[in-house]
Amino acid sequence: MTTLAQNKKPKNDDSANSATVIETKALCRHFGQGDTLVKALTNANLTIERGEFTAIIGPSGSGKSTLLQLIGGLDSPTSGDVLLDNRHISQMTGSELSDFRRDHIGFIFQAYNLIPVLSAKENIEYIMLLQGISAHERAKRVTTIMHAVGLEGLEDRRPAELSGGQQQRVAVARAMVSEPSIILADEPTANLDSKTGIELLDMMKTLNEQQNMTFVFSTHDPKIMERAKRIIRLVDGCVVDDERRN
Amino acid sequence: MLIIKLAFRNILRNRRRSLLTLLSMGGGFFLLCLTLSMSEGSYSNIINIFTQDHTGHVQIHHTNYLERPSLYKTIDKLDTILAKIENNPQVVGVTPRIYGPSLAYGKNKTFPAQVIGIDTEREAQTTRLKSKVKLGQYLTSNMTKDGYFEAMVGYSLANNLALTVGDELVLISQGIDGSIANDIFIVKAIVGDANSYEKMNVYLSLPAMQQFLAMGQGEQSQAHELAIILEHQQLAQSFAKSLQQQLLASELTVAPWQVVESSFYNSMQADKKGSYVSMGIIIFIVSIGVLNTILMGTLERTREFGVLKAIGTRPMSVFNLILLESFILAMFSCLLGLLLSLPVCYWLATSGIPMPEPIDMGGIIFDTMLGEISWYVVLLPSGVVIASTLLVSFIPAMRAAQISPLKALQAS
Ligand SMILES: Nc1ncnc2c1ncn2[C@@H]1O[C@H](COP(=O)(O)OP(=O)(O)O)[C@@H](O)[C@H]1O
Ligand SMILES: [Mg+2]
Repeated sequence: MTTLAQNKKPKNDDSANSATVIETKALCRHFGQGDTLVKALTNANLTIERGEFTAIIGPSGSGKSTLLQLIGGLDSPTSGDVLLDNRHISQMTGSELSDFRRDHIGFIFQAYNLIPVLSAKENIEYIMLLQGISAHERAKRVTTIMHAVGLEGLEDRRPAELSGGQQQRVAVARAMVSEPSIILADEPTANLDSKTGIELLDMMKTLNEQQNMTFVFSTHDPKIMERAKRIIRLVDGCVVDDERRN
Repeated sequence: MLIIKLAFRNILRNRRRSLLTLLSMGGGFFLLCLTLSMSEGSYSNIINIFTQDHTGHVQIHHTNYLERPSLYKTIDKLDTILAKIENNPQVVGVTPRIYGPSLAYGKNKTFPAQVIGIDTEREAQTTRLKSKVKLGQYLTSNMTKDGYFEAMVGYSLANNLALTVGDELVLISQGIDGSIANDIFIVKAIVGDANSYEKMNVYLSLPAMQQFLAMGQGEQSQAHELAIILEHQQLAQSFAKSLQQQLLASELTVAPWQVVESSFYNSMQADKKGSYVSMGIIIFIVSIGVLNTILMGTLERTREFGVLKAIGTRPMSVFNLILLESFILAMFSCLLGLLLSLPVCYWLATSGIPMPEPIDMGGIIFDTMLGEISWYVVLLPSGVVIASTLLVSFIPAMRAAQISPLKALQAS
């Protein structure tokens, strides 16, 4: 079986040689001003290496989503910088940023967010289509990844015909299939029951180990955070703890 | 292609709404098509009637004759030109005319009259003059046994002069050589009615007219006007243009009926503009419905556009997707509209609607409203429906394309 990691070609010399996927430098994100000023994220300096399986934890409102959105180029920082594969994403605009997200970042959302009119297979295929990947290659990758996320036989189901856990597996497959530099998952298990959530996390961890895929996910569920190899703790927008475990 | 699948499925998503939009756009198409068919058909009908009445599709005169008629502005070498025109396969008939305004004496009364010399046979093949004889026999170039030429008198003039078939008519005019032309003619027929073009005219045969005005005869024949009937009135402008090219060296001007009857043509164009306004109103009403559909459809899917954009779809592609959806809807609407319109237009073009009361337009009886089927009648509504749909989709598509993925994702 070909793994996705084996198919992967270096994106450029820098990223191939460097183990650092993400670097945030003095990253700040403030909302509002004056009395209503909210410092959602303050002075975050983080480095995430290739193949890490990192949890961002913290209570609700601590800035987890804000951090992931900044890293993924969905939001712009008030100050500071995000480097992804050594590229400054704050300097990109419009379709440059679209293409960057398409090729370098895989998103998994709390609410699954699959396209309801497309089947599981088509949801996964869509992003490869944007990348201009050939039909043959697309079919091959879909088969491989449906197997990897344990959804064989459900290729033609629409999202409405899948359970929450199954939908989130499709979302994981969609995020991975474009072979991004990093997969960002904002509370991917929050809408799932505890058992399904743990199964999903274990599956993500297996993919991380087998294919050296870099995952960063946020959670406030203790049973989920246990499974991370690195835990970054946020409180009121500040990184208060960064711990690597074995 | 996945994008086409995506567009189709998005349309099928809210079937009832899409169906309603389809029906209203298809209905709009239907109304446009019918309006056009009727207006084009009616005008074609009117044009056919009056061009066949006397104008012809194309006329030839000495340059400037139409603006300022004169006895001396003649078409010379008549036979050569007639032969040349008749050789053209588009030509159905061509007839020469000589005009000589005269004084007409009847029984103790005098009236001014337009005296027209015609080639009796050619005129009968080209216009409907022969069919408008009310009393007596159609004009010939024969002379009576007493040596008088025949004349055909318009209905009103005959009434005014108290003339009837067999009576003598005296005409006085000026000959082309400057002499006073006067002669006696025998009324052979009364033509037209109180409203028709002929009502104050006198018709003489070409030899009679040439002799009356002392103009060239036989090989030296001259005329003031040539009226040509073509296979179809739509050929008039192109035919006139190419014939003018061939006659550049001569002092002749070739004019299609649009120029000859410019006041009718202009009022027809103005009337068409008027019907464009009513078509605009139809389109406006339909467009508001379409705008509603597209706007609702895109607002509901804000979150989805957020996802599409977050995972790397370019703004332009989101824009294209929405426009594609609209385009597909518009295409199917046109198809539906066509399916509804074609049988009705066909019926209008073949049977037409009989008018409760026939309209008399200057002696031309207009009793059936006819429709028309042509590319124009079908393609214009298609173009208008598609263009207005795309136009109306532009704003929702723009909005969806430009929305920040983060904001869109946070939308409920
Ligand atoms: N668009 C926004 N406008 C104003 N305040 C915001 C906005 N987004 C987030 N915040 C605030 O920033 C803080 C961090 O939010 P968030 O990153 O969503 O936390 P978490 O994901 O850890 O629950 C919260 O106090 C939240 O209210
Ligand atoms: Mg959050």
